[in-house]
Amino acid sequence: MEIYRIEDVSFTFPLQARKAIYHIQLTIQSGEFITIGGKSGSGKSTLLRQLKPILSPHGEREGKINFRGLPIEGLDQRQQASEIGFVLQNPDNGIVTDKVWHELAFGLESLGLDQQAIRLRVAETASFFGIQNWFHKSVTELSGGQKQLLNLASMMAMHPTVLLLDEPTSQLDPIAAADFIETLRKINRELGTTIIMTEHRLEEVLPVSDRFIVMDEGKVIVDDNPRKAGEALWHMNHPMFTAVPSPMQIYAGVTQDSSYPVTVKEGRQWLDRYITNRSFVREEAVTAIISSVKQPAVRFKDIWFKYEKNGPDVIKDLSFEVAEGQFYCLVGGNGTGKTTALSLAGGLYQPYRGKVYIGGKNAASMSFKELYQSNLAYLPQNPQHLFVKKTVEQDLAEMLVQSSLTREEKADKVFAISEFLELQNLLGMHPYDLSGGEQQRAALAKVLLLEPRILLLDEPTKGLDSFFKDKLASYLKKLNAQGVTIIMVSHDIEFCAKYADVCAMFFDGSITTSGQAKTFFAGNSFYTTAANRMVRHVWKSAVTVEDVIRRCKNHG
Amino acid sequence: MNRNGFAGYHPLINFVYFTAVLLFGMFFVHPIMQVISLVSASCYSIMLRGRRAVRFQLLYMLPLLLAAALFNPAFNHAGVTILFYLKSGNPITLESILYGISSACMLITVLIWFSCYNAVMTSDKFIYLFGKLIPALSLILSMVLRFVPRYKDQIRRISYAQRSIGKDVSQGNLLRRARNGLTILSIMTTWALENAIETADSMKSRGYGLPRRTSYSLYRLDNRDKGFMAVMLSLIIIVVIGEVNGENTMRFFPSVQTAEVTPFSILIYAAYLGLCMMPVIQHMMEAIKWKSIASKM
Repeated sequence: MEIYRIEDVSFTFPLQARKAIYHIQLTIQSGEFITIGGKSGSGKSTLLRQLKPILSPHGEREGKINFRGLPIEGLDQRQQASEIGFVLQNPDNGIVTDKVWHELAFGLESLGLDQQAIRLRVAETASFFGIQNWFHKSVTELSGGQKQLLNLASMMAMHPTVLLLDEPTSQLDPIAAADFIETLRKINRELGTTIIMTEHRLEEVLPVSDRFIVMDEGKVIVDDNPRKAGEALWHMNHPMFTAVPSPMQIYAGVTQDSSYPVTVKEGRQWLDRYITNRSFVREEAVTAIISSVKQPAVRFKDIWFKYEKNGPDVIKDLSFEVAEGQFYCLVGGNGTGKTTALSLAGGLYQPYRGKVYIGGKNAASMSFKELYQSNLAYLPQNPQHLFVKKTVEQDLAEMLVQSSLTREEKADKVFAISEFLELQNLLGMHPYDLSGGEQQRAALAKVLLLEPRILLLDEPTKGLDSFFKDKLASYLKKLNAQGVTIIMVSHDIEFCAKYADVCAMFFDGSITTSGQAKTFFAGNSFYTTAANRMVRHVWKSAVTVEDVIRRCKNHG
Repeated sequence: MNRNGFAGYHPLINFVYFTAVLLFGMFFVHPIMQVISLVSASCYSIMLRGRRAVRFQLLYMLPLLLAAALFNPAFNHAGVTILFYLKSGNPITLESILYGISSACMLITVLIWFSCYNAVMTSDKFIYLFGKLIPALSLILSMVLRFVPRYKDQIRRISYAQRSIGKDVSQGNLLRRARNGLTILSIMTTWALENAIETADSMKSRGYGLPRRTSYSLYRLDNRDKGFMAVMLSLIIIVVIGEVNGENTMRFFPSVQTAEVTPFSILIYAAYLGLCMMPVIQHMMEAIKWKSIASKM
């Protein structure tokens, strides 16, 4: 059965000449699992919101959208609420009430169901999603992954036929994200609910999708099953191809003889077939050699830290050194103390045992001015926490209010930094109106105005698309070349493998292993890039997609 | 969440019980009634909060009792039984001493009952009860309870982010600190408004604003609740009958006069004791039953 028929739909935001989406033509069958990809600002979310009129932004829509054969405008609010579920990007913003059980019942209360009916549906939903163990909890006690699962469950309690999701995993760590996608797959397979989601992280979601739609500048450029869609992107030589799963990228870079592999498993099977007829040298892992540290920019010496007097130790006997001009990445699971370690380096907390040295000096005895003027800069996870003014330009200027420079010098500095981070076109905008990647850049510009020698980044790639990630990396590399030391906390293994100098694995409050990025990941078995997991039985030290392609080509 | 014993009963029962014991505790000045109420309240509070309750009672309540008992005769000189004269020439009377003790006793009884009330009537019970009367209010309360901790956490995060660029309330001179504090508040406001739009979307998308909204709760008035309610209401009625007949009152001025102890009044005292001790009795019965079951397991 046809759920949606989208005929020639365009949409223009008020006071804008350019159409946000442009003559979209789609039909969506009942029970399909559809992923919509594309750069930030390509019109994905705008399209998604057209599918639930109550959430459509103001503006002018042309064309027709039919829902189950009838014009979607005919759907009243009650039907829209119960038939079409919508999950937002930020798990925290979706939650309205203070208790898990109340949140599950919220939509059903709105629909006016009686106690008995709500009781049954809430019970059913909680069991299906495995919520029963935290059913009575306050929502503040939940993790990000649990919150997003709760958002999903409270939608599903209303028994929708279609579920729309707007980048639901972008704020989650990789494990929670994979769990979430798995739950979506279960809903799709076991309940037959149609799922339409936008997503940046395609590694997990493409293998379970039936269709992959790629949008660019408001148009649908590819609409096919994931394998074919990947192939089409490759042939178009489209930048979105860098976002598809690594096995696809490797395959496309090497041959074109069969269908595109989507998962690591398929990639492995393809590689095995590919190398059987060719002679290859199997490599063993190279042992890690860490070049002797020059002048350490940041040194942790036997650090112990806890948040409360009787609380558990968050950091346990942590010692490491970051050399001047290095790009140092801390990776590891959630709640292992990575972010805490970064805050300690930033002087936001004091350890109760041990010392942190910044440029050879004990951080505890340095004044705030010494720490933060031309020395340390910390970019928080949420760049919004730094913005204080109405426009980006004022916001940047605000950073220099207290410096003794003349007006011209200040203006020059703001100009130089906005040129460096390509913010010129955004200077007049309100910081909150920027996209995630642009906000990140504006926030980076703000902290760079302090001319730091050490830059601390807390998950800077969270929620960014692959295009913005590459951009961010290029700025970081430039800073690195200027001698700025960068310490970054990240879940994004692919990003760290590609760009970092040294990676360290954080576990249980301390660093377990560290090494040069490539050798570090070559030494891991699970906690490594998809490309490495795909080829590590042949080439242990091939970590990035480019490494693998080069090796395939060299030997083939 | 405290869901054991009496707290596990329906919120309505919890609420009626506490309303009754609080009101009775405030209005009955008869010494026997006061002692019953004070002893029950202390027992229940110790049962609920253990050692902390004992400390609370000894450290704060006992001194308060003594202070209040001494304070009254120092200022109140009414009464006919004069014990002695102060240096200022004012008389100290037996009546005012007794009245002081009585009102102090009432004060701490009510305070201890309130400490029990706080332990039993959690926010969601309260919301549930008043949501029945005004459904919109219960949602608003629930949303407030969601947003207050969220905003607090957000302010902390913003403050840390600002500290790392040297603009936190803990940095700089007084003027700059005040300025930084205002900046943080301003960021917070922008952030809150911006994010509230999304929350509004989430509410709209789940049909908020449709007519005939219902209110769901986890509580059900089951048979156990009904039984408890019946016993509690009959005890309350007996006590109220006693009050109407003047069995629970006492006169202090000009001279002390207590209602006489008669078989009828003993019945009232027993009913009052039963009422005040209901949670404790219920708890003990459950504990004995559990022991006997456990011994057979």
